[in-house]
Amino acid sequence: MIRFIQSFMCLFLGALFYLIPNMTRRGILFTVNVPPDFRESPEGRQSVSSFRKLVGSVVLIDLLAIAFSPMDAMAPVMLIGPLLIVGTAAWGFVWQRRKIEPFAVARTVWRVRQAELSGEPDRIPWFAWVGTIPFAFLAAAAAFLYASWDRIPAEFPVHWGANGQPNRWQSRSVHGVYGPLFFAAELCLFFVALALAGWYGARRSYMRRVILGTMVAVECMLGLLFAGIAINPVARFPIWVIILVPLAAMLIIVIVAVNRIQETDEAAEPTPEEFWHAQLFYYNPGDPALLVEKRTGTGYTLNFGNVWSWMLMAALVAIIGTVPILL
Amino acid sequence: MGVTIRYDPQSGVPAIRQITDNLRILLVEERLKAGAQLPSMRRLAMELGVHFGTVAEAYRELAAEGWLDLQHGRGATVLARSTPSIRRKAWLDEFRDRLRGLIAQTRADGAPGDEVAEELVTAAKEITR
Repeated sequence: MIRFIQSFMCLFLGALFYLIPNMTRRGILFTVNVPPDFRESPEGRQSVSSFRKLVGSVVLIDLLAIAFSPMDAMAPVMLIGPLLIVGTAAWGFVWQRRKIEPFAVARTVWRVRQAELSGEPDRIPWFAWVGTIPFAFLAAAAAFLYASWDRIPAEFPVHWGANGQPNRWQSRSVHGVYGPLFFAAELCLFFVALALAGWYGARRSYMRRVILGTMVAVECMLGLLFAGIAINPVARFPIWVIILVPLAAMLIIVIVAVNRIQETDEAAEPTPEEFWHAQLFYYNPGDPALLVEKRTGTGYTLNFGNVWSWMLMAALVAIIGTVPILL
Repeated sequence: MGVTIRYDPQSGVPAIRQITDNLRILLVEERLKAGAQLPSMRRLAMELGVHFGTVAEAYRELAAEGWLDLQHGRGATVLARSTPSIRRKAWLDEFRDRLRGLIAQTRADGAPGDEVAEELVTAAKEITR
């Protein structure tokens, strides 16, 4: 079982890195601004292919190590394998970045901003309502636990290590039984807030819709995962279900999001150069947007010049602060 | 894409002036027709990357001129505006002064005189069309 779980996790990590070149708009590759059709050019194809071959090779090495290492050598394999994949992928990324830099084009300079004078209300897409479903999962889990209170063991596992073995237990108490559900509710609320902030606090664009859908999907996955963990003392799911199903769901979400991102030729949102710090942090008190599109990466980042961004950060810190209390 | 408004933060012209003037052009040229609903102040400010108050002020200025109807919670609606009567001498003098000032400023900024003249002819043709 441990080899199966480790192999799946290795493949999951490999798949994420395999998808990395497609996680940005077509005009950005390995953080370099390129023409949108560069990916189809021989140089663009070769660059992506080289990166993927490198990732594929190191994943294969890790899979072989997992399959053929004696059981007493599994601990170092479990540690070194993921580090090797991450390290090699990071090196491959930088390597490809250097290779395609000669093909870089100038970034869109923020000169004129244009807005459509349409009075159409900024209606949130229908799928945003799916974000309420995780709360139903959590409520149903709480009702199930309440009804099955006598069947909950006096002590039960709530956390599992990468080897699939439980490494933290809880006792049958209101705190122990319902804690994960409260924590999940906090997390889901945070994702709902982030999804709404991304919709109402960002400029209209195709990417805004993709990010909203991704946020809702991740929230659903978290709600389902924590509902499953909470009822596990009674339902007794096989361990692989708890570890692998969320990873598989996450992979599906990433694949769908990546496909959506690649579907558009829309230009990236231009933001003034002088408000970017280290190309990562956007601080522009004069811009009412709460979220702006990242310059070279995937998705959006906060405008730290907007006071609401600090509220979101504070909420995240508060949620992290409840981990030792609720879990 | 429908009717759009542009804002150039590097032009040197204050944001409030650019937005008000651009909206007025669209209203006078009837590209924004009576009954049309404009975006909410918050949304337009977001799209243009300017303070909410700047768009609010622009909308208020145009509402005071009779172009827009501002209703709380419903955004701005373009009104059917009747042309006010104006004393011929007064508007012509003011218009001439402002136009000369603008031409002088544009030429002082380096714009070639013949191109400015060409632009004026094009604008005149659009008015009389």
